[in-house]
Amino acid sequence: MAVRVVTDSTADLSKDQARALGISVVPLTVQFGEEVYRDGVDLESAEFFSKLATTKVMPTTAAPAPGLFEETYRQLIREGADGILSIQLSSKLSATYSSAVQGAEPLKDQSVPIEVVDSRSVSGGIGIPVMAAARAAREGKSLAECKTIAEDMLARMNIYAVLDTLEFLQRGGRIGRASLLLGTLLNFKPLLTVKDGEVLPLEKPRTRSKAHERIAQLLEKLGPIEIVGIAQSDEEIGQQLTTAIRAVYTGPIEHFRLGPVVGTHTGPGTAAVCAVTQRAAS
Amino acid sequence: MEQTTRRISRPRRISVFDGQDLKGVLLAGASWLEQHRETINALNVFPVPDGDTGTNMSATMRAAVKEIAEASDNSAAAIAEKLAHGALMGARGNSGVILSQILRGLAQGLDKKATFTALDLAAAFQEASKLAYRAVIRPVEGTILTVIREVAEAAQRGAAQGDDIVAQMQEIVTAARQAVAKTPDLLPILKQAGVVDAGGQGLATVLEGIWRYTRGEAIQAAAAASPAQGAEVKKGRVSVEEEFGYEVVFLLRGQHLNLEEIRDTITKMGGVSTVVAGDDKLLKVHTHTLTPGKMLDYGVSLGSLTDINIENLQEQSLRYEAESRAEHAEEDQPAQGSGDVTIPQRDLGEIATVAVAAGDGWVKLFESLGVGAIVPGGQTMNPSTEELLAAVEKAPSTKVILLPNNSNVILSARQVPGLTKKEVHVVPTDTLPEGVSALLAFNYEADFPTNCAAMDSAAKRVQTAEITTAVRSVQVGGVHVQEGDVIGLLNGRLVVANSDPLVVIRDTLQRMKAEQYEIFTLYYGEGVSREQADETARHIKTWYPQQEIEVLSGGQPYYAYILSAE
Repeated sequence: MAVRVVTDSTADLSKDQARALGISVVPLTVQFGEEVYRDGVDLESAEFFSKLATTKVMPTTAAPAPGLFEETYRQLIREGADGILSIQLSSKLSATYSSAVQGAEPLKDQSVPIEVVDSRSVSGGIGIPVMAAARAAREGKSLAECKTIAEDMLARMNIYAVLDTLEFLQRGGRIGRASLLLGTLLNFKPLLTVKDGEVLPLEKPRTRSKAHERIAQLLEKLGPIEIVGIAQSDEEIGQQLTTAIRAVYTGPIEHFRLGPVVGTHTGPGTAAVCAVTQRAAS
Repeated sequence: MEQTTRRISRPRRISVFDGQDLKGVLLAGASWLEQHRETINALNVFPVPDGDTGTNMSATMRAAVKEIAEASDNSAAAIAEKLAHGALMGARGNSGVILSQILRGLAQGLDKKATFTALDLAAAFQEASKLAYRAVIRPVEGTILTVIREVAEAAQRGAAQGDDIVAQMQEIVTAARQAVAKTPDLLPILKQAGVVDAGGQGLATVLEGIWRYTRGEAIQAAAAASPAQGAEVKKGRVSVEEEFGYEVVFLLRGQHLNLEEIRDTITKMGGVSTVVAGDDKLLKVHTHTLTPGKMLDYGVSLGSLTDINIENLQEQSLRYEAESRAEHAEEDQPAQGSGDVTIPQRDLGEIATVAVAAGDGWVKLFESLGVGAIVPGGQTMNPSTEELLAAVEKAPSTKVILLPNNSNVILSARQVPGLTKKEVHVVPTDTLPEGVSALLAFNYEADFPTNCAAMDSAAKRVQTAEITTAVRSVQVGGVHVQEGDVIGLLNGRLVVANSDPLVVIRDTLQRMKAEQYEIFTLYYGEGVSREQADETARHIKTWYPQQEIEVLSGGQPYYAYILSAE
C-alpha cells in the first residue's frame, strides 16, 4: 500500500518533519498589504514574528484555492499513491477544509481514493495526528487504517493555549466564545482551548507563569498521556512552557513553531500544549 | 424626624406578656439601639474609619420591627415569628446575623405561646443562646456570644426568683452589662484597643431598651425612614426647609419632676417641637432651640443630666439635601441597570456570579470579569441577607456563586443557600482582591463543583493590604497608633502605623514577603487621584523591580489604597 498524507501549513510542521515522513503540505497565504507570502514557503515563523513587531499594516490570511489541492493530489497520484489522506485545519476556523474537498472532487472517478478529514484542530493539534498517520502509511497500512489512526488521535486531543493578548484573535475574527474574556479591566494572559473545532475560553491567569502552572495542572488532570506537542511562537516561551509541564509529564514532546498564518491569529507570546490522552484500556 | 412616644400605663410588676406587649418592648429595644448606633460603631478594635457594628445591628433590628410595627396580633408567638423573619432577611454584617439568630431562638422558644411568663422567657433565651453559637463556625468568647449566654443564665435566675418579668429583665440587663464589661478580659485584643466588644454592646443596648420600656420609660421611636437605612434606599428628594438652630436631647434625673411644667417652661424659652416624656424621677427631653446652652442650664437646675446630644439642624438638613441630590443625579440619566443591582451584558454562561462591591472602580472591574449582579456594600454598609438573596434570585442561572468580598458579609452570605431553591455556593472571600482572584480562576469549561473548588482556593492565594487613616490613638497588636496616622492592615490585621504613607506601604509589603509574589495590583480609593496612585506605584516599583505592578481605580471609601499581591 502506498498511502500518502497531505495537510496544510497550519499544521505548523517544520520542513524537516514533513520531508522525513513524506508529508505534502499545502500552504495558506499571509498578506502584509501588497506583499503576499506562502505560509512556511516564502515566509517562515521567526521572520514573520519580526515583521509583525514592526509592521504598520496588520497581516491577513487566506485559504489555499481548491486548485492547489487538486494539483497536489494529482502530483501524488503521478508519484504512485494508491490512497490519499488529507487532514485539514478546522472548518470552523477556515475555508481550507472545503477547499480541499473541492480540490478532491474532480478526482473522484480516479482509482485513487482521497479521504479529506476536518481535523477540528489547529497547529500541533493537526501536526501530531498527521505525523502518526504518515508513519502508519510508511509502514504500509491501508488508507482506512491511517484515517482511523488520525481520527482516533484527534478525538483524544486536548489543547491548552496561553496568549499574550486577545487582540489578534479578535482582529482576525476567530475569537469565538473567547470574546467573553474581552473588556476585562485587569491584565491577564488568556488561557484558551480548542474544542469541536473552535476557540473557547478557559481561564484568566494573572501572569504568564501562572498560566503555565495552570496548563501543567490541567495536563495532569487528563490522566495518562500518549504524547504532547508544544506549539510556540518563539524558542524562549516554548522553553518556559516545557519546563512547567515537565513537572508533571516525563513522556515524549514534539515541538511546533507557530507559522505566519496561525501566528497572524494568535499574535506573539503564544504557547500551547497539544496533549493526546492514552487510549482507554478496552 | 418623626417622633412618637409611648408610655405603658400599667403596674410595674408584670407577670404575663402578650403579643402587643412584646411588640412594644421590641420597638423600644430597636429604637434604643438606633439612638446608640454611633457609639457602638466607634467600638472598633482597630482605629479604622468604617466601624459599622452599630449600623448593622440597628439596621437588622429595624428590619425586624418593620414586620411587626403595624401588626395587631395578640399572640406573642405570632409577633415573635414575624420579628424573626424580618431579622433573618434584614440581617447585615456578622453581628446582625447573630442577632437575627438570637431573635429566631426567641421566636422558637415562644412557639405556640400566645402569652408568656418569666419561665417561658428564660427558656426562649436558652434557645436564642443555642442558635447564636450555632451561627458561627468558630465561636469566640468575649463577643456577643458570651453576652447572650450569660443573659440566658440570668433569665433563668430571674425566673427562679419570681414571676415578675420586669425584675427578670433587670437581672438580664445587669448580666449583659457585666458580660460586655468582661469582654476585654476574654479577648486580649479588645483590652489592647481599650474597647469592649461592639457586638456584645449592641445586644446589651437592645436589652437595655427593652428593660427601660418595661419600667415605664418612654423611648423615642426610631425615625421611619432614616438616611442610614440601606444602600438601596435613596433619600427622598429633599429641599432645604426652614430648619434652624439646634436639636437638644437629654435625660433628666431628679425628684418630683413636673412633666407639664417643664414642657411649658421649655416652650416659653423658645423651644420648638418639644417633647417631654417619662415620670417624676426620669424624663427624656427633646427640643429644637437657638439657645442650646440655656436649655441645658435649665435641665441642670432641675436635676442631673445624662445622654446629652446636641445637633446642628441646619448642617443636618444641608447634608441630607446634598446627599439626596447626588443620589438622584444618577437617576436623571437613562438607567443602565435595574435599580441598585447592575446587570452587565455578559455572564459566565451556565453559572452566574453575584459579588458584593463598594466603589465605582470595583463595580466596573467585577462587571468586566463577568459578574452577573453586583450588590452594593462593603466597608460602610454591609448588605442584608435579603439584598444578597434578591440578587441571587435575579441571576440568570440556577447555579450561582456568591462572593461576599468582606469578612463582615460572609455570615449574611452563608444564610442565602438555605433561603433559595437555586444551587448557591459562597466563596469565603474576606476582601475585594480575594474576589477578583476567585473570578480570574473561573473556568468556562468546568462544571459547578470544580469551579467552586477552584475559586475557593484561588481566593486564599492572594494577600490583601489595606491602607487607611487612624480615627483614634491606640496601642494595639504591638503597634502604637496616633490619630491621623496612616495605618496598614495585612489580611485584616493592623500591622503598622506611620505619618508617612510610603513607609506604611513598604512595611506592609515587607511583612507579606512581597518578593515571593509576581504581580501587585494597586486599587486606589475615592479621594486619591490617578496621578497620586501612579506616583505610589513608581515607588513600589523601585522597591520591587522584579514584580509587575498594575494600577486600577477602585473608588472605595475610607481606604486610600487596597493592594493585592499574587
